[in-house]
Amino acid sequence: MGSILVVTEIQNGEIREASYELASIAQGIASGSGREVKSLVAGSGVGSLAEAFASKGGGTVLVADDDALANYNVDGFNAAIRAAVDEADADLVLISNTPSGWDVAPRVAAGLDAGFVGDCFRVEVEDGSFSFHRRIFNGKLDAKINAAPGKIVATIQPGAVAPFEGSTEGSTQPLSVDFPDARVQFKEIKTSESTGVDLSKADIIVSGGRGVGAPEKFPETIQPLADALGGAMGASRPVVDAGWLPHPYQVGSSGQVVQPKLYIAAGISGAIQHLVGMKASNFIIAINKDPDAPIFEVADVGVVADLFDIVPALTNAVSEAKG
Amino acid sequence: MKIMVCLKQVPHQDARLDVDASGTWIQEANIKFEINSYDTYALEEALRVKDDTESEVVVVSIGPDRTTQALRTALGMGADRAVHINDDEANGSDALGIAKILAAVAKEENPDLIFMGLMSDDGNFTAVPPMLAELTGVPHTTAAVGLSRANGTLTVEREIEGGATEVVELSTPCLVAVQTGLNEVRYASLKGIMAAKKKPLDVKSVSDLGLSGSVGAASAKVSIEKIAPPEKGDSAELIEGSTDEIVGTLITKIKELGLL
Ligand SMILES: Cc1cc2nc3c(=O)[nH]c(=O)nc-3n(C[C@H](O)[C@H](O)[C@H](O)COP(=O)(O)OP(=O)(O)OC[C@H]3O[C@@H](n4cnc5c(N)ncnc54)[C@H](O)[C@@H]3O)c2cc1C
Repeated sequence: MGSILVVTEIQNGEIREASYELASIAQGIASGSGREVKSLVAGSGVGSLAEAFASKGGGTVLVADDDALANYNVDGFNAAIRAAVDEADADLVLISNTPSGWDVAPRVAAGLDAGFVGDCFRVEVEDGSFSFHRRIFNGKLDAKINAAPGKIVATIQPGAVAPFEGSTEGSTQPLSVDFPDARVQFKEIKTSESTGVDLSKADIIVSGGRGVGAPEKFPETIQPLADALGGAMGASRPVVDAGWLPHPYQVGSSGQVVQPKLYIAAGISGAIQHLVGMKASNFIIAINKDPDAPIFEVADVGVVADLFDIVPALTNAVSEAKG
Repeated sequence: MKIMVCLKQVPHQDARLDVDASGTWIQEANIKFEINSYDTYALEEALRVKDDTESEVVVVSIGPDRTTQALRTALGMGADRAVHINDDEANGSDALGIAKILAAVAKEENPDLIFMGLMSDDGNFTAVPPMLAELTGVPHTTAAVGLSRANGTLTVEREIEGGATEVVELSTPCLVAVQTGLNEVRYASLKGIMAAKKKPLDVKSVSDLGLSGSVGAASAKVSIEKIAPPEKGDSAELIEGSTDEIVGTLITKIKELGLL
């Protein structure tokens, strides 16, 4: 019987929380599937991180410690993961669905001629075989995916499960990796320059999505409600992609993560990448004409209606209430 | 320079999604389809290369008869040639099966560059581009939000978290999977659409590519058991009534929060 391999990820010198979430999934299905949990810690100068992970759910931790892994590069990490899969005799490989995870994981799967499932939020074992739950159509439907016997690589949505918190017996073991020349060369990280729009400080945010329909509707419909409430305006990604508003207005995994006292989402469906940016808000009002929109799952109050009926009327009522 | 652009035709973003009788996919009859949003940015980027360097842009898609429409649209936007893999034997392929078919096309076409979307709006797997790169033996990068080119070297800004980007360099031949918002996608002009009718569109089968028996449902390593609307968890309190009643309730809530 093979093992379950947890591929950890290092961010700012630490093993990131998402890796502990993988450990939690792996530990949860290990005994049911008759497999051992093993992990890979890959980076430069990562020995002590590996020690710590071994006792926090990582099991047998394979340590690939090399300058070639100092920054994420697909060739180096692909080689390290492949070496770890061989060494661990892994038949389930878990990788977080982060920008480096989605870049390398399918490449690993193709190289192994293994099955692949992306962005799962739950993994189950039934009669010794694995099944995976994930969203499709940008969150509008759920799919259950079954794996045929054989190796399988799965990426897991960060935040989908609670991180592993127990302590376990574990050990570390150096992993030797033959590194190919890096054909994709890492150059630098660019952080976004600040532009004056800082949604993180706003108490109230009124965000519009693709459902707002046209660029002029933002100043005409969304901004007036934000102004009346004394808050700020935000947006979902398609609004920014279409050039209707600049990037600093974007809320979500590739925009700003906000936590206002009140978040109003108008014409936003509620894809996971948007939700991670706003679901920690204290109170959420969603306005969407589709009663099945996933945004209603995180909202406190939902209005199933046309935003162009509700938002202007609400703007007037707020102005009146303020006198 | 030869550029291959892989694109998928997917249900329109505003299409009604009803689960079909098999319970494993949506009802496709009577809904509109469009080119996957991510792929439109990939095609645009290829057309921009062609605008400033003599290039051939070949668009490739796997799908049933309706896929012709998506390929004609791409030709109308300015692609030179289309390859359509239209074969029931491809049905039920998993991402690896799709990547194997595209790799067989890439072997025939031998492109300098492959552009494709980061993911599809229907399956959301984010899988095929790195797989295709591995199978064709070329380097790849994903989530490109900026791209420049000089003497066969591509400098790509790839999106990472929190609004930051990571700059990477790679040389042709290579594959780049693009993120939405990379560029401003052009529309097909009327003249382009007329011209597209005369552009070559080759239809191929799985066996034409030498893959008979190695792709499709029987060879898939993962398969959909069922799809369904997401389980309702701790959903919102839905407020109903006339616009005035709804607004009245919202005002009360906002006052309770101490924000009015
Ligand atoms: C790597 C990656 C990073 C991403 N990062 C982000 C991110 O940071 N932020 C982000 O938002 N997205 C992000 N996305 C995109 C995300 O997957 C979704 O595509 C996006 O959030 C959808 O935006 P939307 O809800 O505005 O559009 P849609 O999903 O198209 O939803 C529009 C909604 O408007 C409703 N509607 C239409 N008309 C009306 C009306 N008149 N009144 C009321 N409702 C109406 C519709 O019912 C629908 O629910 C990312 C995706 C990827 C792959």
